[in-house]
Amino acid sequence: MLLELRDVSARYGRIQALHGVDLHVDEGEVVALIGANGAGKTTIMRAVSGLLPVSTGSVIFEGQDITRLRADRRVARGISLSPEGRGIFPGMSVKENLDMGAYTRRDRAGIAADLERMLTLFPRLRERLGQPGGTLSGGEQQMLAVARSLMSRPKVLLLDEPSMGLAPKLIAQIFDIVVEIRRQGTTILLVEQNAHQALWVADRGYVLETGSVVRTGSGEDLLDDSSVKAAYLGVA
Amino acid sequence: MHFSEFWNDIGELTVTGLSQGSIYALFALGYTLVYGLLRLINFAHSEVFMVGSFAAVGTWKALGLDQNSQTPVLPVVLLLLVAALLVAALASGATALLVELVAYRPLRHRNAPPLAFLITAIGASVVLSEFVGILTHRRPQGVPPLVEPRPLVTIAGTQITNLQVGTIALALVAMFGLDVFIHRSRWGRGIRSVSQDPTTAALMGVNRSQVISLVFLLGGLMAGVAAVMYDLKIGGTRYDAGFALGVKAFTAAVLGGIGNLRGALLGGLCLGLAENYGAGVFGTEWHDVVAFALLVVVLMFRPTGLLGESLGRARA
Ligand SMILES: Nc1ncnc2c1ncn2[C@@H]1O[C@H](COP(=O)(O)OP(=O)(O)OP(=O)(O)O)[C@@H](O)[C@H]1O
Ligand SMILES: [Mg+2]
Repeated sequence: MLLELRDVSARYGRIQALHGVDLHVDEGEVVALIGANGAGKTTIMRAVSGLLPVSTGSVIFEGQDITRLRADRRVARGISLSPEGRGIFPGMSVKENLDMGAYTRRDRAGIAADLERMLTLFPRLRERLGQPGGTLSGGEQQMLAVARSLMSRPKVLLLDEPSMGLAPKLIAQIFDIVVEIRRQGTTILLVEQNAHQALWVADRGYVLETGSVVRTGSGEDLLDDSSVKAAYLGVA
Repeated sequence: MHFSEFWNDIGELTVTGLSQGSIYALFALGYTLVYGLLRLINFAHSEVFMVGSFAAVGTWKALGLDQNSQTPVLPVVLLLLVAALLVAALASGATALLVELVAYRPLRHRNAPPLAFLITAIGASVVLSEFVGILTHRRPQGVPPLVEPRPLVTIAGTQITNLQVGTIALALVAMFGLDVFIHRSRWGRGIRSVSQDPTTAALMGVNRSQVISLVFLLGGLMAGVAAVMYDLKIGGTRYDAGFALGVKAFTAAVLGGIGNLRGALLGGLCLGLAENYGAGVFGTEWHDVVAFALLVVVLMFRPTGLLGESLGRARA
């Protein structure tokens, strides 16, 4: 098991956002996290990346308890989040944003090779290398966010709604890239509103409702599950 | 009004203004760096400067020179200057780090409101200045006559002294170095990332506390360099030397656009020039009036200062 959440609860002040969540991600898997708005998907991502301290329970990564580890240290351990809202540094160029992704690394040759790999994966970014991140279109920013989070060479990549606000064609492209990243060997935990496509590319999925896991299974099983269909796939 | 004299003196006023402004600019960087990162006005920065000015005098004293010594030969003078610059920069840098560690970090860990920081900032400033005041019996400390001001170059009929050339050149070199560091190095990227978006910076693996310490250190180093030039210009220093000059340096930072590195340079130079031109036109006693009148006028038309606020942040 690469990543595991054991009975994790988390709160924002008095609002409890997660109620004893159990979840795990094995090496090489793509795991999808689906649920309605406000279900707690982003909160799980924040707990895994260390942005939000959990109130009870533990986060285990590669067999080690990282519950109390600061967010910046988790990056060096191999956890990388492409956050909801993208978090592009507006005053930095595309190139500098990508360099920020490799902030914890010192292997210049490896970084240069990965930069090249990202620019091959996202040719759009190559055309815009010198442009300030803040002036990219939404879709370009999303590609930059995903590419940047890969620049740390994560063992697990956390993607929080990578298709948000994108045109259907770009969404398809993002999912193609998810498949490609996985093929290249990166484990992925994926949060999506596009439940259908997410479950389609995922090995397994978790369905979240008001801060609790209500269903889990393989991507195919969840796609076939009648209650999931009714609630998230728009099929009665 | 003394316009005819003003026109006669304009060259000299310009040079004096620029060299004075260089000291303001270097001093202003500490305010602007910290503000750009934390939205905090580090009032204790004036004492960071003051400690540097004492460290330089102390270095010379330790090497056997006081204000009654003879001026040594040039190579020795240069060595003494380099030694004082190093010691003063390190002493100011260390003081800035200490202020951050003792006065601000504990508050940050407790998520204190901005007002709490403001009060501790003023407190830290008073404690440092009083501490040195008590240690020195509030007496000024004289600087040995290392650099006897004499004309070095003449441009368009205006003589520029060795000290003025040195001050302006050193300030430009220091600021250029800092600018390159902030905009080109990995550490500089770390600083800019935290200033633009601390949460995402953490997701990139940037240690915010380390970046904050680094920024205080850089501001301190620059203030230390400014302090040595101040010592040489004034011929001495006092426990309250930082206060009066700190107000000016802070004004320069706001004038140029606080949070903006190049703004500190521009603000410092403009302030130095305005003061000296004002003194030339209205008489020396109007020196400070003109400086602050300029600030008020600029802020009326450009509330974020001449260059606006930015540590690499996107301009709105
Ligand atoms: N900063 C915050 N302060 C207070 N409450 C918050 C905060 N962030 C999230 N919440 C609450 O926590 C709950 C879970 O939010 P979360 O962002 O995890 O939902 P989500 O599943 O990601 O939703 P979406 O699909 O809309 O992104 C929601 O009820 C939300 O209102
Ligand atoms: Mg969300």
